[in-house]
Amino acid sequence: MWLEETGLADWVRSSPAGYPLMITLHAFGMAIMVGLALALDMRLLGWFSGMPYAALQRFLGVAWIGFGINFISGSALFTTQSASKYVFQPGINGLEFNWVFMGKMTLVFAGAIMAAILQTTVNRDSATWPPTSVPAKVKFMAALSIVFWLVAITLGRLTAYLGA
Amino acid sequence: MLNAAENWMTSTWINHVVLGYAWTWPTLETLHFLGLSLLMGTLIIMDLRLIGFQRIIPLTAVHSLMPVAIFAFSINLITGLGFIFGDPRLYSGNWSFWAKMILVLLAGLNFVVYYFAVEPKLKKLEPMAATPAIAKAVGVASLLFWSGVLSFGRLLPYLGTGGG
Repeated sequence: MWLEETGLADWVRSSPAGYPLMITLHAFGMAIMVGLALALDMRLLGWFSGMPYAALQRFLGVAWIGFGINFISGSALFTTQSASKYVFQPGINGLEFNWVFMGKMTLVFAGAIMAAILQTTVNRDSATWPPTSVPAKVKFMAALSIVFWLVAITLGRLTAYLGA
Repeated sequence: MLNAAENWMTSTWINHVVLGYAWTWPTLETLHFLGLSLLMGTLIIMDLRLIGFQRIIPLTAVHSLMPVAIFAFSINLITGLGFIFGDPRLYSGNWSFWAKMILVLLAGLNFVVYYFAVEPKLKKLEPMAATPAIAKAVGVASLLFWSGVLSFGRLLPYLGTGGG
């Protein structure tokens, strides 16, 4: 695939610093995005009720920096083996569709969309919520967000074990 | 002494559980990633407030996030011990691992300073107050130490050469 032939792909794949740098940035971005999203989710589900909703909503602004870091570092990692490991991977019958990685990507984007929806909702409505309770619909979305991120991280980690 | 410790670790049941099943190591890794995300997310919120950002967060709410951070660290302590008991020689000869451990220790000492020297001071302040210099210093140190822990942890397979 042409992506794998680019200078970026070659640098990330074969320079001593390229791959470790990108993989480390990817861990940082994950920690920032997922950690702050989980904090908002837990708050909406009723934890640490002394923390104002608005403050955690603002921290989601920081979370998007983490998401940006991961979009860039993830794209760089993706170029190295885009077709030969990530979209497809070597299987018994030649290249097979990589459900683990593609599933991870689906959940990452589902998590990001949910974070954006929750951020907008909190920003618009949280002033009318009592500190200890939010509407059931919002709680449901927060719980779904936790599930999205847990599964995304699980599938992301398993990706490292594929096509080696 | 290191050798004796390694031999003892590999003789324990923990070693057998970690190495005896193909799924144990990837599961521990996934939990380690989840733990680090939750830890970093809560630390970013607490430390940035200690430094003086987001003063809409009451100082008491900072302390209410601490149990979540400690829970996240516990996940990583337990799963991390799983890795060490599973393959002690991989870590004992890896300078990046020891750098990470020193930084965990420094982060721990920083927490002790927070607990005994900063938190009592914060309790006497108004909820939205500016923070004293020692609180800012502890917040900056925490972010630096934990970022180092994450970096050396993620770079561990690339930096040092383990005995494994």
